[in-house]
Amino acid sequence: MSPELFAYPFLFVAIFVESFILVTLLSKPARDARAREQGAATPSVAVIVPCWNEAATLGATCESLLALRYPKDKLEIFLVDDGSTDETAAAMARFAEHPQVRIIRKENGGKHTALNAAINATSAELVGCLDADSFVEPDALNHIVACFTDPHVAAATAAMSVHRPGNFLQHMQNAEYIFGITLRHSFASVNGLYVTPGPFSFYRRDVIEKLGGFRYGHQTEDMEMALRIQHAGYKIENAPRARVYTQAPETLSKLVKQRTRWTSGFLRNILGEYRGLVASRNHGALGMLVLPAALISIASGILLFSLTLVNLGQNALAAIDVRVGIPLSYSMLPHVALDWFYFPANVYALLGIATLAASVSLIAIGKRISRTPGNIAFDIVPYLILYVFVVPLWLITATSDVARGKRRGWRY
Amino acid sequence: MSLAARNALIALGITIALTATVAYTVNYLNRARVAELSAIEDKLSIDILSLDTQFSLLTAAPCDSVASSTTLTGELADLGTRLSYAESQLGSDNPQVIGLKDQYSLLEIRDYLITKQLAAACGTKPPVTVLYFYSNAGDCADCDKAGYALSYLRSTYPTLRVYSFDYNLDLGALKTLIAVTKVNDTLPAFVINSKHFYGFTSLEDLEKQFPKGSLATSTPKH
Repeated sequence: MSPELFAYPFLFVAIFVESFILVTLLSKPARDARAREQGAATPSVAVIVPCWNEAATLGATCESLLALRYPKDKLEIFLVDDGSTDETAAAMARFAEHPQVRIIRKENGGKHTALNAAINATSAELVGCLDADSFVEPDALNHIVACFTDPHVAAATAAMSVHRPGNFLQHMQNAEYIFGITLRHSFASVNGLYVTPGPFSFYRRDVIEKLGGFRYGHQTEDMEMALRIQHAGYKIENAPRARVYTQAPETLSKLVKQRTRWTSGFLRNILGEYRGLVASRNHGALGMLVLPAALISIASGILLFSLTLVNLGQNALAAIDVRVGIPLSYSMLPHVALDWFYFPANVYALLGIATLAASVSLIAIGKRISRTPGNIAFDIVPYLILYVFVVPLWLITATSDVARGKRRGWRY
Repeated sequence: MSLAARNALIALGITIALTATVAYTVNYLNRARVAELSAIEDKLSIDILSLDTQFSLLTAAPCDSVASSTTLTGELADLGTRLSYAESQLGSDNPQVIGLKDQYSLLEIRDYLITKQLAAACGTKPPVTVLYFYSNAGDCADCDKAGYALSYLRSTYPTLRVYSFDYNLDLGALKTLIAVTKVNDTLPAFVINSKHFYGFTSLEDLEKQFPKGSLATSTPKH
């Protein structure tokens, strides 16, 4: 039996999920969300910027918050120094006199403690988080606030992309983030979100307090909070035009470390405290489709990568073996005519191409929905070339960490 | 029915339709490949039969009017490449592939015989001819290497004629050829201008089996 046969179910699931995303984008809730205007309501809002050694980017992050087009008396900004050891305190001091800014300094206790410290210090109706390496568009908050018109909505997420992608790897991540815009917008339409990312997600303060505040959440406090909100029966919305830009890791090593943390946090939360959400009919699309698909995608990423690697390895070895002793002038050149006859059409390859084509479409849709600026071609090319080869690196590392009970530091 | 369930059903329908379309496309392409191979074989069959007939009609002066079969041999080689690719796509146990290989082997044998007869009748030096016997039943570890080396030699020495035969093919004419040439089942096996050679170690060793000076090249070797 061909090893490719193992891959077919995973490719089928990938196409099914992509089709589901596309169909859901066309359904009424998603259309309504896209048509949603910035509301007239301006509830009081607190934006928390948790900082641990963020001196380099904190200033720009805070400036972008101060530039938000929102009534100044309704918006307060909390800069929380979570025991930084660099120049973060000095960077914060620049804003100490600003009437909208409040600074909290505390012993290092982790991001969740920094968020809770600010939540305890505010009486704002809505509280949000902005990682200190992220920057927002001036109208982003207005789009977010409009999501809370529905009283069942406990949280709302923004549309993230990469801040000034510089190298190939960052462009690849930008495509991935923009794909995430489409994904989040679609899944939010069926209340299927299971993460409220650090860059500019907002919550009703009373819900957060009712649920007991942020927790460690296996280093993914934003995911743990989203899962707890879903578990409690609330809705998580998405504002596809609330644009926020975040800095992406510039090296493969840093990217793998970041994603290993995210993936292992997901696995630990889902296979641990929130196992009950998976395949739960009571939680609709989240329980029956989104979470199972997320788990399957981890397994399929590892399996498809391994299969591809084995196939490529075997073919390369066979090709080298056959060519040993033959002059390079012949063996290094292809000897197959350019003819449709030799088009390598098999079900496995064509389904793979269909999956990639759908991904590219979803990226283009994400850019259009969010009106994210920039030339997407620069992002899609690295995405197509690199993504399938780098994702397995953190999927394998994270799965291995969880299986062995290994825990890593936040920045290691 | 909830919105998510309805969308999931539509998505399932799309996925099944897409998968079925892909499966149909692949099947259609494979059928088109087989049809093209069949068409090429039919054309070659007519060409070879025509050459054969011309040769028989003009026994007195065959060399005056019979066109060289070199063109046909070139087309035969292209057909062999296509057949080999189709075999890799459809599998060596595919009945259509086996049928095409039978027909291809017959064409090769006819071309081989006509080439020999023409050379004899015209009094010209016969081209260097290699009968190459392989197996893809998993019992010939060096057949891929031997096949690739022969492809290189054929490309480098245009006058060289290589006829490849699947040793295990159940074809009467091929069995007769094997019996006549007395080739045993130690594969890969080569009959180079009637001289037998078994196994493949390197290109150099294979080249040594060719008659001296026979590997004349129209292009520089290296």
